[in-house]
Formats: sequence, structure tokens, C-alpha cells
Amino acid sequence: MSKVLEKYEVVIGLEVHVHLKTASKLFSNAPVVYGAEPNHAVTPVCLALPGSLPVLNAKAVEFAIRAGIATHCEVHPHSVFARKNYFYPDLPKGYQISQYEEPICTGGWLEIELEGKGGPALKRIGITRIHMEEDAGKSIHDEAVAGTGSAVDLNRAGVPLLEIVSEPDLRSAAEASAYLRTLRSILRSVDVSEADMEKGQFRCDANVSLRRRGETAFGTRTETKNLNSFRFVEAAIGIEIERQAKLLDAGQRVIQATLLYDPGTNKTRVMRTKENADDYRYFPDPDLVPLVIDPAEIERVRRELPELPDQKHARFVSEYGLSDYDARLLTTSRALADFFERAAKAHGTPKSVANWMLRDVLQALKERELEIDQTKLEPGALAALLRLVDDARVTAKSARDLVPELIERGGDPAALVRERGLEAVSDTGVIDAAADEVIAANPEMAARYRAGEDKILNALMGQVMKKTGGKASPAAVQQTLARKLRG
Amino acid sequence: MTAPVGTLAELRAALEARRVSLRELVDAALARAQALEPKLHAFLGMRAERARAEAEASDARRAKGEVRGPLDGIPVAIKDNLVQRGEPTTCASRILEGFVSPYDATIVTRLQAAGAVIVGRTNLDEFAMGSSTENSAFGPSRNPWDTTRTPGGSSGGSAAAVAAGIVPLALGSDTGGSIRQPAACTGIVGMKPTYGRVSRYGLVAFASSLDQIGPFTRTAADAATALEVLCGHDPFDSTSLPEPVPQFSQALTGDVSGLVIGLPKEYFVAEGVDPAVLASVHAAVAELERAGAKTREVSLPHTKYGIACYYLIAPAEASSNLARYDGVRYGHRAKDAANLSDLYCRSRSEGFGPEVKRRILLGTYVLSAGYYDAYYRKAQQVRTLLRRDFEEALAGCDVIATPTTPEIAFRLGEKSGDPLRMYLSDVYTVSANLAGVPGVSIPCGFHDGMPIGLQLMGRTLDEATLLRVADTYQRRTDWHARRPPEPA
Repeated sequence: MSKVLEKYEVVIGLEVHVHLKTASKLFSNAPVVYGAEPNHAVTPVCLALPGSLPVLNAKAVEFAIRAGIATHCEVHPHSVFARKNYFYPDLPKGYQISQYEEPICTGGWLEIELEGKGGPALKRIGITRIHMEEDAGKSIHDEAVAGTGSAVDLNRAGVPLLEIVSEPDLRSAAEASAYLRTLRSILRSVDVSEADMEKGQFRCDANVSLRRRGETAFGTRTETKNLNSFRFVEAAIGIEIERQAKLLDAGQRVIQATLLYDPGTNKTRVMRTKENADDYRYFPDPDLVPLVIDPAEIERVRRELPELPDQKHARFVSEYGLSDYDARLLTTSRALADFFERAAKAHGTPKSVANWMLRDVLQALKERELEIDQTKLEPGALAALLRLVDDARVTAKSARDLVPELIERGGDPAALVRERGLEAVSDTGVIDAAADEVIAANPEMAARYRAGEDKILNALMGQVMKKTGGKASPAAVQQTLARKLRG
Repeated sequence: MTAPVGTLAELRAALEARRVSLRELVDAALARAQALEPKLHAFLGMRAERARAEAEASDARRAKGEVRGPLDGIPVAIKDNLVQRGEPTTCASRILEGFVSPYDATIVTRLQAAGAVIVGRTNLDEFAMGSSTENSAFGPSRNPWDTTRTPGGSSGGSAAAVAAGIVPLALGSDTGGSIRQPAACTGIVGMKPTYGRVSRYGLVAFASSLDQIGPFTRTAADAATALEVLCGHDPFDSTSLPEPVPQFSQALTGDVSGLVIGLPKEYFVAEGVDPAVLASVHAAVAELERAGAKTREVSLPHTKYGIACYYLIAPAEASSNLARYDGVRYGHRAKDAANLSDLYCRSRSEGFGPEVKRRILLGTYVLSAGYYDAYYRKAQQVRTLLRRDFEEALAGCDVIATPTTPEIAFRLGEKSGDPLRMYLSDVYTVSANLAGVPGVSIPCGFHDGMPIGLQLMGRTLDEATLLRVADTYQRRTDWHARRPPEPA
């Protein structure tokens, strides 16, 4: 890969489809539900019965405005719904209602954080447009359901989607992944989508092309469809970069095509090439009037917009005195940020809470591939645990060891400490005895300390700690050792 | 054979005087429909049992002094492109074979709330595409004045049912003249309200931006009564206008003095129009002048592009609107399809008739990449010009008077081999659809024993003035009172 990247510059643009968390569908009052019996969350509109007509869901419009403002887009007071015509069994009307020539939002951006040589750096990624559209139903080819034929479930047909199209500003699979994580975090922050990739609420198509370094014209691109996990996005882009580089190295040209990624085999295959691309015959939907939004409504949404990750980040720096880096890490998700704020409030020393969260809590979450709101750990419990440390009732080490348990099983830290006999050892007799034993067993180290090699004390301390099962206060151990060695 | 039914106004008088019961009325309509069906083929299906039950319920209400309004208990026929819960809707197409709607069109809900009794579904050109009902998959309707001739189309079944005295009121839909042209052909009143006045929810779409539901009646006064029930905002139709609906009946003052009638010079050229039609229209205008109206020449300069513009926009929308008939969820499905593409091709090839196919092909073509700008977008631009024509002309007059059709009803088979000639039947009517303005056709004379229609077009939302002029004319003439001969 590194060889490829020396020779070629990778150009990536992403199209993201996001389900909006409205109660009903984009153009009908059928409910938006997941896991319902097939074809039960439908109305005449979803079934495209003769004579049925679409009526726009106002909540979906508000969500689109929110998403547009949150990504610094211009929100247009006038936009138009268009029909995208094609035949497929899960597309009941024979067209999808979307926006084409006049989308609701254009010209935005968001910032992603990249690991640079001198530490993390921000990169601004342009957003070309955001438009509203309806989802299609689902075709089911599973023999158990469909027998020898195919079945269609229209529960998803008409669920409101935003399609968010980035500029071709991304230069690697890692950047693409960072963009998606940031976008998802923003959309969750402004409460427009659960953006659960497993439920298909956040799906991505990746446009990838290569050009020789130094060239300004874009190469021919391919589009890989329907990537529904961050891992698949990175994998599919990586595969496509290698494939295109091989072609270009061999003096062949890349053919514009739509590809499908198969996570099972970790391979992509061509779905169709441009030569046989569909002609969607877009035209304004005559069943819908242009979407006209009062600029005052856009301003109202702007005023009432929940805090964005960027704003939260700045506030965490100024309000809690966190470092820029720590603040950014704590604002990567709304759940994490909310957890931090509640724990900080309960504990009183935000910096200390931040340190514990970034070091111990995030580590434990990462090992378990969990998000903070998927655990049993309560903000109040973390605060209580830290207070036990502050009061020297438990050592930091013991407390650290309890974090995974609190995450998995929850509970009251004080009770847990008692239960496990982890109360800090304050009995000087115990520490004295341990120190004497360690000094006696290590005459050479003791001599070196006395000769002025201060650092050796740490090694001795470690041994005393071990003897006391990590329950002794490190400060007390240090004092005792120093006193005994000097004396 | 029962006698022809009277006008709405006459029926109401009879009901109030208790000379007739609603059950008798509905029975008479059903009996007459059945007796005339072999000659006229106005209907694609009757709703006898339910209609009788509803009529009895209406009689029971009336006995207790509860009357829901002027349509309570009145037998009504509706074009078979309006859905009713539990009833088939065919659109005169084989593609909707076996389809029974699980929901009611808004217009059906409104009619039923007003107590009207729907007795049957009327014949039409397949998916309302045509000017003669000859494109019905179930055979053409015939003109009660001369059964060798067409009643016009596409709402020919509704027009024939009213003209033959089966029902006093029938509903049609008008996309390019499909109410006004058959009204002219059969000597009755047919009105297309302003686009957006009547909800399209439950009207099977032909061309969404042009389709509008309207009534067939014998008199303008009856049309006013019907429109008070039919018009009104519907939250289920995004193109429905949220404007208040006036009491149209109260606008019928019989007074047109001072009103200015515009005569668009582009509609009064001798070419392509039967001189007898022009003569009748001129005579009708002269009658309105005697009633106190003034006339002036106006211009609708883009009229000549109307038909071309219409036959780009309507098929474009139709090609998309009819994509849902794919054999997957309802309606006709080809047997033993080899694969998905085969299922689509064969279901649609078998299900659609030739005119529908022609328009789907035409519409698909004009929306295609590379042709969109030259055809569809250009047609939309012309449509804007046509709309402006009407705004400007109607700034200088109150209503516009023209012939409804260039000639009297033609003979069945006369034009069915020549689509372009057939399309010209709508030459005077398509502009009102393209501009969205209201239009009405009223009988204004006869030629060769066949009725001639006068078309009046007006300002957006000003149906009231159209009805006032039409009613004033009918108070002074008796064309509308003439009846076709009772078939032997």
C-alpha cells in the first residue's frame, strides 16, 4: 500500500444515507418501526395503491434543517422533490421521491481529526449537499421466507432518509472512516438519527479514484455501494485502491462502475458499468409542491439546535479547564460527553474525572468494544470511586482494577471495595513489617539508595506494594521506606 | 323502461313534496342503467346492493327530518378511476384486473358524508387517455343522441349516464378536456374546477399536474350544488388548495350585466373547426350580450403550442405514474414469468392497451437524459407562457368564451386509427388544464341532431363567475332541457 501511495494520490468522496428518527414515514403516516411483521407498517401510500398521494412529514424537514445547520450548510428556503424512476420490486411506485436539482442544503463542511507528526491535526471536509428522500423496501430472497421466489417487505418503504454527499476531499480509508465517525457523532448530537449501522440507519457509498501525485485532474472513479460498518468502509476502500493502482500500473484504465462489497469474502464485484447505467428520468414530482421554508423557521431551528461536538469541545476547554486534546476525546460522542459532565458534577474535580475516563474507562470500553451508554457504569459511581481514592480509602491501583467490574456489573463502589477487602492499608505496623522484610531481602539495593541513587526507591516501593496486595497507600510506603533506609 | 331522471333541483323538489322516496329514486336509476347498458355501455360496474341499503338509510334519515344536504339520497355515478373501499377500480384497463381498493378517495368520502348514493362506476378511456372511450379495454360507450357516435372522452361513461337521464350527477376527471369535451358531445354541463379545488386523493393519476375531478349535470345550478360538496382543502393531497369554498349556488343571480366576455381570436379561426360549431358559439355569446354582458376580443397568443405542450407533459407524468402497475403487488401479473424482467415486460404488455403504451413510450422518451431539456423542460416553459396568457387576458375580461370542441361528436371508429387527429379533439380544452384555470362546457345548440358545447374559462378560483354566466345563459335558453330520443 505504501508504494501505491507514493505514486498515487487517493481521492475519496462519500455519500451517506441516514434514517431520520421520525415517528412516521416521509410521505405517509405509516409508523417507522424496526422488526415489525413484514408489510404491517404500511398505508396505501407505502403500497403505491392507485390514487394514493404523498404528503410531506414536517418533522423530517426540521431534522434535515438541523443536520444542514450542524454541518455548516446553507439551508435553502426553496427546494424541490423529484422522482427518480426505475423498476424494482421493493420500489412500489416505480420511482423514489428524492431531491435532485434543488436540494434542501448545500455547501457545508465538517472537521475531522487526524494523527499528524506534531500531534493531532484538524482537516476540513466539504459537504456538497444534503437532500431528503424516501427509503425503498426490502427484497427477501431467503428460501425460508420466499420459497423459490422472492418476497418484498415494504415496512421500510418510505422511511425518511437524508443523503449527505461529501466533496472529494478525503485522501485515505482512515480519513473516510474519521469523516463517517464525525458525521455520525454530529447527527446523533443534533438528535436527528440513531445512526445505528447494524440497523441500516447509517449506510455509505464510497467514490474512489486515483491520480498520479502532482496531477490536478481527477482519475476515473468507481462507486462502492451500501457499506454498513466502519470496518467495511475501510476494507472496501483499501481493496479498491489496490485494484485501481494495479490497473494503472499495468497501463490500463479504470472503468467507471458501481461495485458491491461482500464482507463475507472481503471482495468487491462489479454491479454495473457506466455503459449500462440506469437513466433515472428525474423530473419534479407533480404530486408535491416545492418545499418552501420560512427563513424564520430556519432561524428557530438554529437557535434551538442542541450543542454540537465542536461547541461542546470548546466549552469543555473553557468551562472545565481540560486540554484541547482531552476535550476532543470526551466529545467524540454525545453519550461520552454527557457521562463526563454528570460525573464531573457529582465529583467536583472535572480534570480528575477526565483523566480517569480517558485512561481507565475508555481503555476498558475499547477492550470490550462498547459505548459508554451500553455499560452498567453510572456517572455517580465513577465519582464515588474517585472520592474513595481522594480520601485514601482505596488506592488508585485498586480503584483502577474495579473499573472493568463497574462497567460490566455496575454497583456501588464503596460496597464493592468492602466486599473485596480492598480498603487501603493504613495500619503502619503492616507497612513497617513489609518494609523491613523488603530492605532485609535487598541489601544491595538499600546500599545503592543510601549511596544517593534515589530512583532505586521505586523498585523497593513496588515490592512493598506487592507484599501488601496493592492496598497500602503509595505515599505511606514511600515515607516509611525512606525513613527506614536513612535511619 | 323507467323514465329519465330529472335534474338535481327537480329531484329535490319531488323529495321535499314526498312524491318519491330515495329508495325509489335509486331503484329507478339502477333499472334505467341496466336497461340502457346494452345500448350505451355507460357503466363498468354497478353497486346495486349497497346503493339500495344507503338509499333506505337516507329515507330513514329523511323521515326523521335529518337531511345531510342537497345530495342526500341522490343517485350518483362515478368514473371508474376513483377508488371506493371494497369496490373494484379498473380504469378501464386489464392491468388492474382483480384490484379492489382498501380505501376511499376523498371525493367518495365527501359524497357519502353528504348522503349521496354511488350507484355505479362509469366507463372511460383506459387510464383516462383518450377522447372517445374507444380506448376502454371493456368496449366503448355510446352517445345517447346517436349510438353510432362517441359520447366523447375520456369521461364518456359519466357523460352518457347523465345525458341519458340515468343519474342527475356523475363525476369525471379532466386532464386535457375529459369532462368538458364529453359534456359538449352529449349536450350536458361538465365542469373542470381550478386545479387544486377538488382533492385528487383516490383519483388514479394520469397526469398529476393536470388531473382535476369535476361534475357532469344537466344544469349549471346543479353543478354549483355539486361543487359545494366536492370542493375543499384536503390534507391528503399536497396540491389541494387551502382556500375557502364559496356558496356557489348563491352566486347564481341571473345577472351578467356589465360582465366582460373575452373572445380569444386564436380560438375563432375558421381552420379546423366546423362552421356550425362557430355559429352556435357566436349565437350563444350574442345571447349573453342581450343579457347585459359586454364582449371584447382578447388574445391567448401561445394557444397554438397548447396541444404540443400537453402531449409532452401529460405522457411524461403518465409514464412515471403508471410505473406502479408492475404485476408485483396487485392487478394483472403475467403467468410463469421466467425472471423479473420478463415479469415486468409481459405483465405490462398484456395489461396495457395500445394508447396507454404509446403515451408511456412517449413520456419515457421525453424524460430521458439528453432529451429532457429539449422536450419536458421546454414544455414546462411554454406552460408558464400559457398561464401568463390567461392571466393577461383575464385582466381585461371576466370570462373567456370559446367552442368546447371543434366539431360535434364523431362516429365510433372514425378517428381511432389516427391518434394525432384524435388528439386535436382537445385543442380548445387543454389550455385550461395547462394554466390550471377553471372551465365549463354548457350546451349551446345542435348540428345534425348532435349537441354543441360552449366553453367558458375563468380566473383561478373564480368558478362562481363561470357558473353565474352559465346559469344566466341556461335561464334564457332551453338547449339543456332537450333530451336525447329514448332508445327503441
